[in-house]
Amino acid sequence: MGNCLKRSTTDDISLLRGSDSIREASSDPVGLPSYQEALSVQVPPPLYHPSPSVTRSVTQLTEEEQIKIAKRIGLIQHLPTGKYDGCKKIRECVICMGEFMVGDALRYLPCMHTYHMTCIDDWLMRSLTCPSCMEPVDAALLTSYETN
Amino acid sequence: MTERSPSKRRLHRELLSLIKEPPPGVSLDAEQIEQNLFLWTIHLEGAERTLYEGESFQLQFKFSDNYPFDSPEVIFTGEHIPIHPHVYSNGHICLSILTDDWSPALSVQSVCLSIVSMLSSCKEKQRPPDNAFYVKTCNKNPKKTKWWYHDDSV
Repeated sequence: MGNCLKRSTTDDISLLRGSDSIREASSDPVGLPSYQEALSVQVPPPLYHPSPSVTRSVTQLTEEEQIKIAKRIGLIQHLPTGKYDGCKKIRECVICMGEFMVGDALRYLPCMHTYHMTCIDDWLMRSLTCPSCMEPVDAALLTSYETN
Repeated sequence: MTERSPSKRRLHRELLSLIKEPPPGVSLDAEQIEQNLFLWTIHLEGAERTLYEGESFQLQFKFSDNYPFDSPEVIFTGEHIPIHPHVYSNGHICLSILTDDWSPALSVQSVCLSIVSMLSSCKEKQRPPDNAFYVKTCNKNPKKTKWWYHDDSV
């Protein structure tokens, strides 16, 4: 009989799949699982946000949106990260409104605003702006390259 | 939805800080909000020495699981909807931070303060010029109103 296991997509989404540090991509099982397994391990495709209020499954992104998101992922990975060392200058992540704890993973934006890495990455995947000062992160990054 | 989802945790923190230090003219029923953290009713008082002095209003906030990455859905509810050029008679509010200019650094408190200041700066009480048409044709959810995004004339 016919093959009941539908391939999720034929589009080339390798750029998006390569972003496992930002968003885990579901790994394709090797070989065809049995029907029962296929039902139980079915993982919904990852969701992306071409703009803050738009949510789309990876299979529904237009080519333009795929490129936009791939660029975003590349840019986010160039932003410096670190661990909170208890410094008194910064105390709270304005996204989750939680206090920084020693050892928390942080990300620093070019405008010098600092957030939990998981909090800010979630936002930057929707909009490349700093939530506190609304400065576009990509433009600020270019300026900082030019002045250095 | 687990008890400790990030949106719930953040909403809970916001609630605690609003109970502790409510901004002037803003009050809420904490017990009611505890029942459902994703739906808040806030009481607003018109600021002194403004056109809305002595009036009180109710704001409704609806949050999604993606809050604070998604903006809340904010409308005026109840009997008394303020008469203001940015407020439709069905309670929908034309305010860019509720859609395009939303940022996860904003909060219930900052949205309330923006709305109080929007009311306070009003010079003449009137409904938006397209009120009748808008109210008849709009979606229930004000965030679905596309043309707000281009409206910066009023």
